Amino acid sequence: MFDLEQAIIAWRQQMLAAGIKSPVPLEELENHLREEIEQQTKSGRSEAEAFESAVQRLGQIEAVQGEFEKIPRTKDALHWKFLEITFGLFASVFPWCLYRTVLHFKPGYLADLTPGQQTSSVAAVALFVLLAWSGRLGCKLLPLIRAKRTRDIATVFCAAPVLLWWIIFMNCIVPRHDFDMGQLTVVILWGFITPAGAVLGLSWGIEAAARNESAAFAS
Amino acid sequence: MIRKELVAASAEPLILSLLDRGESYGYAIIQEVKARSGGKLQWTDGMLYPVLHRMEQRGLIKARWGESDTGRKRKYYSLKKDGKQAMQKHHEQWSLVHKVLSGLRKEQYV
Repeated sequence: MFDLEQAIIAWRQQMLAAGIKSPVPLEELENHLREEIEQQTKSGRSEAEAFESAVQRLGQIEAVQGEFEKIPRTKDALHWKFLEITFGLFASVFPWCLYRTVLHFKPGYLADLTPGQQTSSVAAVALFVLLAWSGRLGCKLLPLIRAKRTRDIATVFCAAPVLLWWIIFMNCIVPRHDFDMGQLTVVILWGFITPAGAVLGLSWGIEAAARNESAAFAS
Repeated sequence: MIRKELVAASAEPLILSLLDRGESYGYAIIQEVKARSGGKLQWTDGMLYPVLHRMEQRGLIKARWGESDTGRKRKYYSLKKDGKQAMQKHHEQWSLVHKVLSGLRKEQYV
């Protein structure tokens, strides 16, 4: 006995296996299939015949998928790709450059960092990387903010306390202490760079959470 | 039957012209084109959707999810301002081709 719903479920599996994305355009194609089946059964064909004919009329799955793949990415998708690369580079290349130029302990004043200061400096940079990437990798744990404007406001609220801290740090804390270069390096890394990792991670994660969700519903 | 190259080339102007009459959805667009051409202009049904999606991404048409009278979900498409302009361009170009062809045909019978 032919079961139309089972046949449609099997057809959906074939479409998904061929790379047709769900919910769009798969839902749209399924609706089309159902309308065609309905029209054909109204004109006297059996459900099995109507299903077979409707599937044939839709054409080769691979050819349809091939056409969908030719559709260029939207400006928005390209923008997000660019943002991801920028965030990724900043969270990876920047600390690497920092390590190579400041913490590589080459001859010069930075070579005067004590072993404790060296460990502390590396720890500060490592924490920057950890905080930045944990935002991206743990984006599913962050709140989902669909509205772009609200996301921007949330990012500003994340960045504002850090910005305030930087101003206080540079204008009130650093001038009151007579740091040598080694100490100043460590202080700047902990006071400046590490909080930046938290802001980067949070803003990256919030954006990624929203983009991942919208990608699941986009064609 | 009309050659597939011509079917492909005429898809966009036909869709734009149909949507100029009011919003519609994939299945209805196919049926209307089929009916208006006396069944001679037939698309592979599945191929219409990449065309619609591409036109949507180019900003010629916009889409919204709605429901049919029977409660079935449908994606309705409608024309945007850029789509209207594109349609007018298509009409001009196709009219020109038609005019040239008609002129040549008349000359054959003179």
